[in-house]
Amino acid sequence: MFFDSLNYMLFVPLLWLVYQFVPDGWRWAVLLTASVAFYLVLNAPLLLLALAVVILSTYFLGLRLAQVDDDRARVRYLWIGIAVNIAVLFLIKYLRRLVEWRIPDAHSDAFWSHLFVTLGVSYYTLQAISYLVDLYLGTAEPETHLGHLALYLAFFPKLLQGPIERAGDLLPQLRAPYRCSYDNVRSGLLLFAWGLFKKAAVANRLAIYVGSVYRDVHAFGGVSLLLATYMYAIQILADFSGYTDMALGVARMFNIRLTQNFNAPYMATSVADFWRRWHISFSRWILDYIFKPLQIQWRSAGTFGVAAALMITFLFSGLWHGAAWTFAIWGALHGTYLAASVFLKPWRDRVWASVGLEKHPLRRVIQVVVTFNLVAFAWIFFRANSTADAWYVATHVFAGMPAYVMAVIAHAPEITHLKYLWDPILMEKGLRSFVLVIIAVTLMLAGGVVQRRVRIRHQPLWLRWTMYYGLLLCLFYLSIYDDMGFVYFQF
Amino acid sequence: MIRNDLKRAILEALKLEDWQLEETTQAAEVPGWDSLSHVNVILAVEKKFGVRFRNIEVLKLKNVGDLQLLLESKLKAATAGN
Repeated sequence: MFFDSLNYMLFVPLLWLVYQFVPDGWRWAVLLTASVAFYLVLNAPLLLLALAVVILSTYFLGLRLAQVDDDRARVRYLWIGIAVNIAVLFLIKYLRRLVEWRIPDAHSDAFWSHLFVTLGVSYYTLQAISYLVDLYLGTAEPETHLGHLALYLAFFPKLLQGPIERAGDLLPQLRAPYRCSYDNVRSGLLLFAWGLFKKAAVANRLAIYVGSVYRDVHAFGGVSLLLATYMYAIQILADFSGYTDMALGVARMFNIRLTQNFNAPYMATSVADFWRRWHISFSRWILDYIFKPLQIQWRSAGTFGVAAALMITFLFSGLWHGAAWTFAIWGALHGTYLAASVFLKPWRDRVWASVGLEKHPLRRVIQVVVTFNLVAFAWIFFRANSTADAWYVATHVFAGMPAYVMAVIAHAPEITHLKYLWDPILMEKGLRSFVLVIIAVTLMLAGGVVQRRVRIRHQPLWLRWTMYYGLLLCLFYLSIYDDMGFVYFQF
Repeated sequence: MIRNDLKRAILEALKLEDWQLEETTQAAEVPGWDSLSHVNVILAVEKKFGVRFRNIEVLKLKNVGDLQLLLESKLKAATAGN
C-alpha cells in the first residue's frame, strides 16, 4: 500500500474519520494499530518482527539508561542498544545475500521473497539509535509509555522512507490532545496532492527517459547521457521530496508536524549548503551521531581531522544506501567535495576578490551552477547499475558534443529539422511526451516558488480554489501511475 | 554572564569582532559557528585556558553557558590538583 495507491487514498480518510471519535487517551492506539496494519499489508512477516525487536529493546534500554547513574552502566546500555539496532539493520538488509549464498534462486521462491522485503528498516533503526544517544547525552527525556514510543518509531506516514524524527520533536506531539483543525486538514491535503503531483507527474515521467538510458548506457552518446543525468537529478528530487510532502501532508491531517526534509537543495551555493537542504533529517543524523564525535575525537589533527571525519561520515552515508561500490563512490565523492572545501576555505574569499566578484550577485549564480553540477556528477554513481556503467557515463558525457552542436547550428534555420535540437532519447518517446515532461517540471519549479513565497491560506477564496482545481487537473492530465515505487524505498 | 576571556576566545576562533554571548546562546545563533567551525572554538578554548575536555563533555554541550560551566569545573579541578 504505497502512498500513490488507491488503497492508501481510502485508508487515510477512513482512519481520519475513526480518529475523530476516539478519546485522547486512546488516539495513540488507533495510530499505532493503523501503522502496524500499514506494515502488515506489505506481507513481510520478518519486517514486523524486526520492528517489534527494535521497539521493545529501545523502550527497555531507554528506561534503564535514564534510571542508572553509573556512567559505565549507561555506556553499556547505549552500546547494547546501538548493537541491537545495527544487527537488525544488517540482518534484514543482507538476509537476501546470506540466503542466496546457499540457495541461489531464493528470490524467485514465494516463501523467501516475503522475507527479503527491507522497507523502512533503515529509517526506524536510525531513529531508535538517535533516541538512545539523545537519552545518553541528556538532550532527550525517556518515554515511559510503550505505546507512545512504539508510535514514535512506527508512525505510518514516515515508516517507509522517513523523515528520521528526533524524540524531542515528535514524542511531545504524540502525547498532545487532539482538536480537529480545518486548516491542518486543508493544508495537509494540499501538501499530499502536491507531493503526488511531484511523484506521479514529474518523477514517473522523467523515470521513463532516465531508465531508458541508464538501462544500457553503452548504447547512448554524450548528449543523451548528459540529459539523462540532469533528468535524474530532477527525478530523484521530485520522487523523494514528493514522497516527503505526502508523508508530511498526511501527518498534518492528524495535527502532527514532521520534519521538513528538503529546502530547495539545487539552490545550494556549496556542497555543505546542499547537505543542509537535502534529506535534512538524515543529514542531521549523520552530522550529530557520526561526524561530530569523530571531529571532536580527532580535533588535535586540525583541518586533517575534520577532513577525515567528513570522509568517514559520507562513506557511511553511501553505504547506508546499499552495499555496492556505486553508493560507496557516491558517498566518497561528497566526502571529497566537503573535505576539499575545508582545505580551500581560507583561499575562497581571496579568489572571488581577485576576480572582482566578492560581493557581486554573479558569485551566487556561479556557486549554484557549480554546486548543482558537482551534485549531478555524483548522482551518476548513485543511479548507475554498476561502477563500469557509471565510469562510462562519467567519461562520455561530453563525447560527440561538438558534432551535436554543429548539427544543431547547421539545421537551425530549417524549422522542419527542429528535431535536431532534441536528443534521440527524447525523440524516441515522441515530442508530445517530451513536451509533457517540460510542462510537468516547469509546474513543479513554479509550484516550489509559490510554496516558498505565497501564504496560500491568506489568498482570496477564488484564487485558492482555482489553485486547488488547477492542481487536481494537473494530476489528472499529467500523472503516470504504475508500479515504479519510490527511489528511496530501496534503502 | 559569560566571562570576558571565554567570550574573546570564542569570538577570535570565529573571526568575529564582537557578538552578544549569553549563557543561553546556542552555536546556531552566532554567525560562522557551524558544525565545521565548532571544533575550532573548542580547540581555542582548550588552548587559551590550558585544559582538555573529554569528548563526551563536548558532545553534551548545549549552549555557551554549558561551555562556561565545563570550563570552570576544569579550572577548579586544575587549581585543586595544584
